[in-house]
Amino acid sequence: MAKGRGVGETRPLFSFSRTGLGRLFQDPALLLVVCVVFALVGLFVIYPLARVFLASFVHRGTFSARYFLYFLEGRPYLVRPFVNSLTVGALVALLGTGVGFVFAYAVTRTDIPGKGVFRWIATFPIISPPFLLALSAVLLLGENGLITRWLFTRFGLRWSIYGLPGLVLTETLAYFPLAFLTLEGVLGGIDPALEESAMDLGASKLRTFFRVTLPLATPGLAASFLLLFIRSLEDFGNPVVLQGRFPVLTVQAYLAITGMYNLPLGATLAILLLVPTVAAFALLQFWVGRRSYVTVTGRPSSAGLRSTEPSVKWPLFGVVILLSGIILLFYGMVVYGAFTELWGVNHAFTLENFRYVFSTGATYLVNTLKLAGIATPVGGILGIVIAYLVTRKKFPGRRLLDFLSMLNFAVPGIIVGMGYVFAFNTPPLQITGTALIIVLVFIFQRMPVAIRDGVAMLQQIDPVIDDASADLGAGFFRTFRRVTLPLAAPALIAGMAYMFSACVTSISAVIMVVSAKWQLVTVALLHEVDNADLSQAAAYGVVIILVVLGVILLMDSLVRRVLGRGRHAR
Amino acid sequence: MRKSFLLLLVLGVGLAGWGAAGVLHMYTALDVDEAKIYIEAFQAKYPDIKVEWVRLSAGEVLARLRAEAANPQASLWLGGPSDTFIVAKMEGLLAPYKESLGWQYLPGKFKDPDGYWVGIYTGFIAFASNRDYLAANGLEPPTSWSDLLRPEFCGKLSMAFPYTSGTGYTRLATLVFLLGEEEALALEKKIAGCIHHYTKAGSAPVTEVGLGEVAVGIAFSHDVIAKGISKGYPVVLSFPKEGTGYEVGAMALIAGGPEPELAKIFYDWMLSAEAQSLFKKWFRVPLNPEAELAEGLITADMVNLVDYDALWAAENRDRLVELWQVETGY
Repeated sequence: MAKGRGVGETRPLFSFSRTGLGRLFQDPALLLVVCVVFALVGLFVIYPLARVFLASFVHRGTFSARYFLYFLEGRPYLVRPFVNSLTVGALVALLGTGVGFVFAYAVTRTDIPGKGVFRWIATFPIISPPFLLALSAVLLLGENGLITRWLFTRFGLRWSIYGLPGLVLTETLAYFPLAFLTLEGVLGGIDPALEESAMDLGASKLRTFFRVTLPLATPGLAASFLLLFIRSLEDFGNPVVLQGRFPVLTVQAYLAITGMYNLPLGATLAILLLVPTVAAFALLQFWVGRRSYVTVTGRPSSAGLRSTEPSVKWPLFGVVILLSGIILLFYGMVVYGAFTELWGVNHAFTLENFRYVFSTGATYLVNTLKLAGIATPVGGILGIVIAYLVTRKKFPGRRLLDFLSMLNFAVPGIIVGMGYVFAFNTPPLQITGTALIIVLVFIFQRMPVAIRDGVAMLQQIDPVIDDASADLGAGFFRTFRRVTLPLAAPALIAGMAYMFSACVTSISAVIMVVSAKWQLVTVALLHEVDNADLSQAAAYGVVIILVVLGVILLMDSLVRRVLGRGRHAR
Repeated sequence: MRKSFLLLLVLGVGLAGWGAAGVLHMYTALDVDEAKIYIEAFQAKYPDIKVEWVRLSAGEVLARLRAEAANPQASLWLGGPSDTFIVAKMEGLLAPYKESLGWQYLPGKFKDPDGYWVGIYTGFIAFASNRDYLAANGLEPPTSWSDLLRPEFCGKLSMAFPYTSGTGYTRLATLVFLLGEEEALALEKKIAGCIHHYTKAGSAPVTEVGLGEVAVGIAFSHDVIAKGISKGYPVVLSFPKEGTGYEVGAMALIAGGPEPELAKIFYDWMLSAEAQSLFKKWFRVPLNPEAELAEGLITADMVNLVDYDALWAAENRDRLVELWQVETGY
């Protein structure tokens, strides 16, 4: 993909250049594909969003901006969630970026031992369902949690994890990995020679850090701040468990729809949520373009690093150990909780909770795997096709397609789900309550990641190969199928593994569209938490993590085999 | 290879045949663990009918029926206070079933006169307190609505949102019947200042009290006994002496539901003495006079009840909820 195709650029979205149109008509297959993709994106990304906007302005059949006026009037049930969400978002963005930076710095710029382990720990929260952290926060730090109880009996200390502190803590732990991955790429890309020259010129370590390393990392810091701000604002799983007396937008919007079916209220809360997230997304695009956060695959080189001074190295090592310990403790609690009889009262060992998950929860688990299994290949291929179109092909509306297809990256899941309920509840497209609506939500909510991965991957493949195929007379389909796909296979598989686990662990969008026939395992987990059946919820959590780990390991070995075969062929 | 293909084919046909025997889709506002008691007993009696069900709070069921009105996904709604059913009836979301003998036998105050819903149990709003917390602080369990505001309890209360939960709305309406609208909302506002958090499900506060997450919760008395006391949690049950509210827990057929015939089978069975005797496992008060009662059951003559007008409560639901939101900011 071309560099810097950010929002700030002045090139028009539509370019009816003669060559573009001409090429499109020369290749009818390409024309067909472009039309189909536009239709899909229009129907399943734009239309549902438009319905949310519409719903916020319609009250009992007439146009009315009622709840927006209430918001401006300062009614607390609208203003409080808005202020609260922004507060949590800013704090999580700040703290998460800080933690991510410490980890990234330790892994890329120092020679502390155990980097591999730290790297693994720092990425683990990405593949686990984020709300598991909220669950373990209750187990550990709830009013009757293990640590709370110990501190109380020992020191008479009391605190409440519900509300702002709990949200900031759990969301920081859940989302700092994104900052870590972004900054790892950025810091890893800084040539150590720059720092060394600064020091050779007489700058102290500290001065070098503040005058060389930090300024070079600033775009990365800004990107990760915005990224975490977006993620925190759209988080649903943690606040629905931990918000306490501190209502946030996602949860209130969800309650307005599923608790009252008050469409204008829910839609208005959704718009209040959408404005800051999309603004942050636009800023992100404008500031750093798309490249800087395409770093999940970033592989920093640590060659040429000078050995770090012990006075820096060991304190840093200590901090990283401490943070890793906290993460492990949180996930360990879920495992421990899953094997206890009745959390908070009887901590005797039992397998009963797993029996429960595999009997009562079996249908939910099977549903989840089935639907994620359908959505993953479809979404993966569609993502690659779109990535291919926007990076390799010239056609009118290319930049528009690029922007629209990435839109759901910034649109909070709860709004995506809400839009699907509004859009597909009446004929001709009446699919609420079916498996199809869940699959579609999976596909179009996760597609931006697939596109992003696809773009990153296509950049590794020389376009000359495509041109050669075209010159030899192959059309769009043939080139895509015989040239691009095989070359892209390993990355595609890895991308699909990520997409599959993202589907299995997702909650915010699908919670709006699950039904009596199609209930998912994450939603079942949340119901258990709702009912304060923490041991059973923990057992669900353990099973979800195992499934995700299993899939990732499976895909990993598959990638290795594909790569091995490729090398063989050569 | 061919053999395994054949096997798959046989399996596929078998599964399809099994599916055709009948699947009943149901929404229930009963606790998950409780709903399982009745649904499993039903399936044992009618092995050909498979019940697929989702637990939602009563307000959520109503919201779901509104959302699915053009395309109903379930046929039966089991459990939840009758006020929510009355709202659903007024909005045309329920189907009448006067032919059911169970409906015909039931006294008029426990059923919809037009057959749109039928009562299956009654329950009373109660306080659940954590025994250890009371003991550690030398407190008595609350016996008055105003006790909730005592400094020892303030900040340690848990109860349900009146818009998602039938229990929550019954609490709000009870206070209105007891104190009048203005004073009731003023009290709810003060309670909101003392709340630890609001829950989506009506019975959730009981477990939270049991776990010590909060000191006092408000829920229906059967939920306090079934989910708290009988499970071994240190939970104490008490009632407000000024008077408390009650529900007639109901059941209804959903208008346009996909399996009306199967739903009627469940409906009739649920009204039988056999089914309602199962209520004793959850300490509910059954409405079928021939059903067996649980030991230690709380019945209507043991508590001071307000004059609860479910019809008024239903007609004023949306308005009261909006007022409550404005007052409390939740």
